[in-house]
Amino acid sequence: MKRVAALLFAAFVSVVAAAHIGSPNVVFDGSAGPYAVRVVVRPPEVVPGLADVIVRTASPDIQRVSIRPVFWRAGVRGSPSGDVLTPVRGQTQVYSGQLWLMAYGSYSVYVTVDGPRGSGTAIVPVSSFATGRLALPAGLGAILVVLGVVLVAGFLTLVHAGAGESLVAPGEMVTSAVRRRASRITFVMAPLIALALFGGAKWWGAEDFDYRRHLFASPKADAEFTLDGSHRTLRLTVRDTAAFHSIYSPVVPDHGKMMHLFLIGRNGAQTMAHLHPVQTDSLVFTTEVPWLPAGRYHLFGDIALENGLGLTVANEIDLPAAPGEVTPSDSDDTWDRTPTITPLVANEPRPLSGGGYTMTWAGGDAPLQARTPLDLRFSVRDSAGKVVALHPYLGMAGHAIVVANDGSVFIHLHPMGTVPMVAQQVFALRDQGDTTSAGRLITTSLASTDMAGMSMSGDVSFPYEFPKAGRYRLWVQVKPADRVLTGVFDVEVP
Amino acid sequence: MAIAIDALAAVPASHAEAATRSSRWHAYTAVIAAACVMTGVYWDISWHMSIGRDTFWTPAHLLIQAGGLLAGSSSGYVALRTTFAGTPEERNAAVTFWGFKAPLGAWTCIWGCGAMLTSAPFDNWWHNAYGLDVRIISPPHALLAIGIFSIVVGALLLTLAQQNRATDRERDRLAWLLAATGGFFLMNFALFLTEYSSREAMHSATFYYVTAATFPLALCTMARAIKLKWAATAAAAFYTAFMLSLMWIIALFPATPKLGPIYQHITHMVTLSFPLLILVPAVFIDLILQRFDPPPRFARNQDHDSEHQGGLGTFALAAMIGPTFVATFALAQWPFATFLVTSPLALGRLFNADNFVYWMSPTYEATTRRFPPPGAWPIGAHLAIAMCLATAVSAIGLLRGRWMTRVRR
Repeated sequence: MKRVAALLFAAFVSVVAAAHIGSPNVVFDGSAGPYAVRVVVRPPEVVPGLADVIVRTASPDIQRVSIRPVFWRAGVRGSPSGDVLTPVRGQTQVYSGQLWLMAYGSYSVYVTVDGPRGSGTAIVPVSSFATGRLALPAGLGAILVVLGVVLVAGFLTLVHAGAGESLVAPGEMVTSAVRRRASRITFVMAPLIALALFGGAKWWGAEDFDYRRHLFASPKADAEFTLDGSHRTLRLTVRDTAAFHSIYSPVVPDHGKMMHLFLIGRNGAQTMAHLHPVQTDSLVFTTEVPWLPAGRYHLFGDIALENGLGLTVANEIDLPAAPGEVTPSDSDDTWDRTPTITPLVANEPRPLSGGGYTMTWAGGDAPLQARTPLDLRFSVRDSAGKVVALHPYLGMAGHAIVVANDGSVFIHLHPMGTVPMVAQQVFALRDQGDTTSAGRLITTSLASTDMAGMSMSGDVSFPYEFPKAGRYRLWVQVKPADRVLTGVFDVEVP
Repeated sequence: MAIAIDALAAVPASHAEAATRSSRWHAYTAVIAAACVMTGVYWDISWHMSIGRDTFWTPAHLLIQAGGLLAGSSSGYVALRTTFAGTPEERNAAVTFWGFKAPLGAWTCIWGCGAMLTSAPFDNWWHNAYGLDVRIISPPHALLAIGIFSIVVGALLLTLAQQNRATDRERDRLAWLLAATGGFFLMNFALFLTEYSSREAMHSATFYYVTAATFPLALCTMARAIKLKWAATAAAAFYTAFMLSLMWIIALFPATPKLGPIYQHITHMVTLSFPLLILVPAVFIDLILQRFDPPPRFARNQDHDSEHQGGLGTFALAAMIGPTFVATFALAQWPFATFLVTSPLALGRLFNADNFVYWMSPTYEATTRRFPPPGAWPIGAHLAIAMCLATAVSAIGLLRGRWMTRVRR
């Protein structure tokens, strides 16, 4: 009964999202054939459940937008026919709809756009896991309790009538002996009903316990340091923490790296390192940790699986002091230390650490607001104030890392949005049949890390939807010349 | 008991006849409502097996709701009319419920309708809290099943009260109507136990436990309550006929899944498996009762309220029926399950042994082509336990059946 009572009044228990921490919504900027689209998918917190899908397009000639959920294991052939989205009233070229995510694991929403220039499909990978459970609203709980009491009272009345009055022939008087017998039987039935209700409550509690046991929990990375002369080596062993295994497929490289590891200082997120550990066993990764001072850090590691699932492994670690000068183990490793608050101010150039470059927050396409899709737009200029062309950094024009100051939100963004690029690739390969029947991907075609056709202009934007109000720090990493430079911005999201 | 029977002996015939005539339409309405509900439930399960996605407005849901409302509203009307505008005969043929007057069956239907209505917001919240369930057995579904069960029982009681007061040909007609309602009663048990009744589970202990714990109760109730010589057999035959009709007819309609992942590319509605062979033990239950619990249960023109003379007691009868049920059911169902699981002849429309739901993966499908390995105990030990269970519920069923024969209002 306690468990049921807890159910009645518990708040919505929300845990982490699969691909990132605390930021479950998926935003994708790209194209569906010849049509430019922005797709926002808000996955359900319970599975099976309904995902909300919003598609915005800049193309005015669109005739129809449809969506279908594709589960990795079943492929396109095993997905239901598409549902046509409906235009959003009061907005132009915005369409919305819902689709059912029925199973746990790796999905993609296939967004198909039809128009005079033909038909095109965008693949938007989505992780499907139960991440919360809804509390019983107090009003509904009260109504159910009242109805339950009425039903129990009614049942006892039925028993009384059935054991007494109903057995008396029409027209005959109901004697006191009949009434006494009916009361005796009702008295015997009452504890049996109570027992049945107790059993029902235990059943409900067991169902609830089982459900909560299967809620998604981020895989954990167990950290172990080895200090030796000029080495501060971090060895990470990744393991599932939930009752079910989310990692049931091999890790594949995303942007050419097996893991994108982020160490964020616990003390107000003043320090950040973006490292790329080497895979030394199926779920074991090793990297040197240069630059960072000793202290307590949030650890977030993005990995992509061969089945298209993007996962963030997490932990908190105590970083020991480096025994000497530590050399990075990957040439793409970067870091930043900005102890002061650097508020997001529109159109205020902010010097980057080298080359006379500046980075300017160009303002959002709308006022910053939680749970609203928006563009985080930045402009990288040279010392003459001219927007520069960027070099690809890990195949992208830029990377943005968004972290809530309390560590409850972490996400690694690209100009294409929140989706891991490799997840799109593996779904596309699967459609072509480039997998074995067991779902093993033929991975040789994943060698390319560059995003073909991506703009490399110094005007770079990241589509995103802040999951909740609060204080965030943004690191924006670009490569205007031969070095990766990092802009830092603090933002208060209302 | 003696009081009621003694009292009945003095019933003025006009009271009973007048009440019977005025409420017969209600008994028929309740049976039609039960038919709607049970057909709707079957259709709904089939819908989830085939199409998956549903709304409040699917035809199957509407049929269930229409059945519930038909039973509830007609019973509500009867209660209001009997209470406020009923003739003395009608009021005298009713029971009192919180100051209102109506036959016991009407109140049971109203209660069932209330339970069904209560289950609706509970089930809706359950889906929001724990996800859309693709299974039958959950707490809100259990409440819904109890509500549906009550509507079927209400229809039974209304018809029973009519049967118990009727004579001759009218009583026969009502007895057959009761047997049909008994078919719905059995169907309700069978549908709720679907998840324990898969073909490959029919050699398992659990299957015999759940069937032994339910069907003897229903069959014994029917056997004693319905004034037919082959009452349990008739109810089981109706169950089999309903299930087969729905299995064959619904499967004719085209359907494709609207949810994924889809592993079975179906083109027509998938229906439930071939009905359980409870017809076989039902025949034996009737034989036992004919031999050891002799008339007046089914004597056509005898006073239906006479005490049983010369028969065995309820518990002795249950001790015979329980083991007989399990033994005869296992003898029939066990080889039939072997046929369904292993024979290619079982595939196809007739026996429906390839009724795979759209989400059944190939690996899972493979498990339906063989029986799981036996448990540590020999199946005989499990069947012996099942016989004990069947004996206990048979006793309850016989007692319940005897009570039903005495319901007059």
